[in-house]
Amino acid sequence: MFPMLSALRRNPIGAVLVALQIAITLAVLVNATAMVSRAVHKIEQPTGIDTRDTFELVIAALSKKFDVASAVEADLSYLRAQPDVAAATVTFGVPMTDDGSGMSVGRTPDGRGASVLSGVMPVDEDGLRTLGVRLIAGRNFRADEITTQSPAHPRQGTAEVIVTRSLAHALFPHGHALGGTVYVGGHTPLTIIGIARDFMGPTLGASPYDTVLMPQILTEYANYDLLVRARPGERAAVLRATKRHIGAAHQDAIILYAPTLSSARRQMNLGLRNTAVFLTVLTAIMLIFCSFGIFGLVTFNVASRTRQIGIRRAVGARRRDIVAQFMTENALVLLGGMALGSVLALALGQWLSDHDGIPRLDPWYLLAGVLLLGLVAQLAAWQPALRAARVAPSVATRTV
Amino acid sequence: MLGYYVRMAWKSFQRTPGLTLLMTVGIGLGISACIVTLTVYHAMSGNPIWWKNNVLYAVTMDPWGSSRRAHVSRVPQQLTYRDATYLYGSDIPKEKALLTLLVGAVTGTPGQSRPLPLFTRGTTAGFFRMFDVPFKYGGPWSAAADRGPEPVIVLSRRENEKLFGGIDSVGRTLLWNKHRFRVVGVLDHWDPQPRFYDLTPGGGGAFAKPARAFVPFKWGPTLHMWPGGHMACGNSSAGHTYRALLNSKCTWVGMWVDLPSASARRRFLALMSAYAAEQRSTGRFEGPLNTHLWKVSQWLRMHHVVSERSRLLVELAFALLTVCLINTVGILLAKFLRGAPIAGVRRALGATRRHIFMQHLLEAAALSGLGAALGLALGIAGLSAVRALYAHSNSAYGRLAHFDPLGIAWALGLAVVATLVAGVYPAWRCGRTPPALHLKSQ
Repeated sequence: MFPMLSALRRNPIGAVLVALQIAITLAVLVNATAMVSRAVHKIEQPTGIDTRDTFELVIAALSKKFDVASAVEADLSYLRAQPDVAAATVTFGVPMTDDGSGMSVGRTPDGRGASVLSGVMPVDEDGLRTLGVRLIAGRNFRADEITTQSPAHPRQGTAEVIVTRSLAHALFPHGHALGGTVYVGGHTPLTIIGIARDFMGPTLGASPYDTVLMPQILTEYANYDLLVRARPGERAAVLRATKRHIGAAHQDAIILYAPTLSSARRQMNLGLRNTAVFLTVLTAIMLIFCSFGIFGLVTFNVASRTRQIGIRRAVGARRRDIVAQFMTENALVLLGGMALGSVLALALGQWLSDHDGIPRLDPWYLLAGVLLLGLVAQLAAWQPALRAARVAPSVATRTV
Repeated sequence: MLGYYVRMAWKSFQRTPGLTLLMTVGIGLGISACIVTLTVYHAMSGNPIWWKNNVLYAVTMDPWGSSRRAHVSRVPQQLTYRDATYLYGSDIPKEKALLTLLVGAVTGTPGQSRPLPLFTRGTTAGFFRMFDVPFKYGGPWSAAADRGPEPVIVLSRRENEKLFGGIDSVGRTLLWNKHRFRVVGVLDHWDPQPRFYDLTPGGGGAFAKPARAFVPFKWGPTLHMWPGGHMACGNSSAGHTYRALLNSKCTWVGMWVDLPSASARRRFLALMSAYAAEQRSTGRFEGPLNTHLWKVSQWLRMHHVVSERSRLLVELAFALLTVCLINTVGILLAKFLRGAPIAGVRRALGATRRHIFMQHLLEAAALSGLGAALGLALGIAGLSAVRALYAHSNSAYGRLAHFDPLGIAWALGLAVVATLVAGVYPAWRCGRTPPALHLKSQ
């Protein structure tokens, strides 16, 4: 044990510097890994929608004269007649974007009492089929339940809604959501007639899965969105043909944009993905430099103590004793660094969860980080330690 | 003497090219990571109209009583049409502006075959004066045009290039949503980031590009155009007709005022409170009076324009730089100490401690300089990588990741810091080499 401690005493600054590097690297490594794995988990969350085959057309009327209701009818009958269109519906808002409407949904009128901010999607009876979302319980809207609200025929709202499983659970934690009464930003009681599998609606609520479907065709906004699902593999062709047809059919309206749902999903995850990339690159660089630092320190120690090694060899130390000496020495520095690093990592994790609302650091990440960094650090010391073992005992006799 | 130091440093680099490269790359990577994150962070956290911070105010008022349950920042960013038009009638502010977004389409310009979607800001003439919007041709419309409304339009520079080939188009006409509008002004380049005057998500967020054209606010209501930007209704409903929308408690009109003096501010706040109290007594408003004026700086802070994530990335970049610098300290220390015999000889030949110190510090500075140069190059590459990662997205990172003189300043500053941090201690240690010790074993 002695040679290691005396070596540390002789070059304390070098050891302290390496320990500091290890500490900072460990703290960043652990927290960055936790953040990246959270981001990956979020990116991989299922959308619940057939994003591969679906696209949306956002259409805006240019003048008061444009009759949205009849345009919607014409567009839908055109789309439903196309052999490559699997399903089509009319809605308002684009799933997985902030484009759409969000409302407080609660069990009491006018937002008194608890409520859940949810995405609201008006659809007709083909809405669920177009999204590719199945019902878990209850039934779909019937054609005669769909109301068309236009300035010419202002009608009271609908009476039925379909909610996602997630929203049903939030509103009725003890079950029995089917047949329950809810209020969607108003005082009209609405009955839940169906519960759909979770899917991502307009991401305006706290959770993208909190979505309520209303049996409505909204025509008063001078904007309407056509949601179209093509047969597998035919999306690009259908999108082109539909754009051409609609551009020619309506003189007083324009297609504002036509996002595919896969691009909407990509856009939604872009920030997370890029943060994950950045964090990974940063952590990898840090880890590499940390191992360079360790390599440098051990190399320096070996070089500046060649004579000491020679003497130890001459008085009987075996090669593997020399290797063990430098590896143990490195392990001591490592231990110090990791002890400080663990404290730093936990403090950083705590600070992040206080300031940025990130969940508290899972200690398993710390354990994994300690093991990984320990392995890398010992590997970095391995080569110079072997070199030390090759020092010949005769070195001791040369320059006395 | 300096030439001699430089020569010594060069010789030292040549002796250990691998270590020199390692240190340079380390400092370079650390500096470039800082440049990339700091550039974006700085652009995000700036106040793009700081010179008017004490006179410009965003006007908010809470028609739903939402603050009963939640934080004050839940108060909507915009006003209802009724409240906005009432407050706009006041003549206390020096300048005032209403803001909304309209979805328009342009037809009838030379060489145009199909309608061109045009996101248009409906606003009032005060907008251009209040926010110091630069004009290339023409200018804002008149107050009469706001009252009319008259069919006048202001184009952005890019739109003018697209529609009129960049000529002075003032006086030309185009069809905006099938109505003939006269161009009265063309903006020069104007893209304040963050877009402080409209931070709403429905308007594209804090880092969206400015609208491509501007028409008098009243055109929206006149043509019954549904607001094309952000609309928040709390728990109320927009109703099913345009008239119902105008009377609803849905908020979709942004309002800014220029209040140059403390007394004007007091009077305008009093007006707002009196109005809100009256609305509450008639039962239209609920909950406590919640009327506010926000300075631009408060406004940006309250709406969390700078994301927590971007601040975190800056901190991590500095952690990386720290690790690289500690690494450099360690390597320099080892290197200098190994060169101690040379320093010993030089001391013996008459070099002072200061000379030895300065020479080693210069070596560290040269290293940091090389690192900073590499960091600049990597920083520029990193910024374009960020732009590529965010291509086709509205995200602030992609829009703001542009290299500017600021990047050079950061690099230089960090290089100086790096030299001081990494170089001083090893150089000082080396300067203290006793001359006799190393002479013995020569």
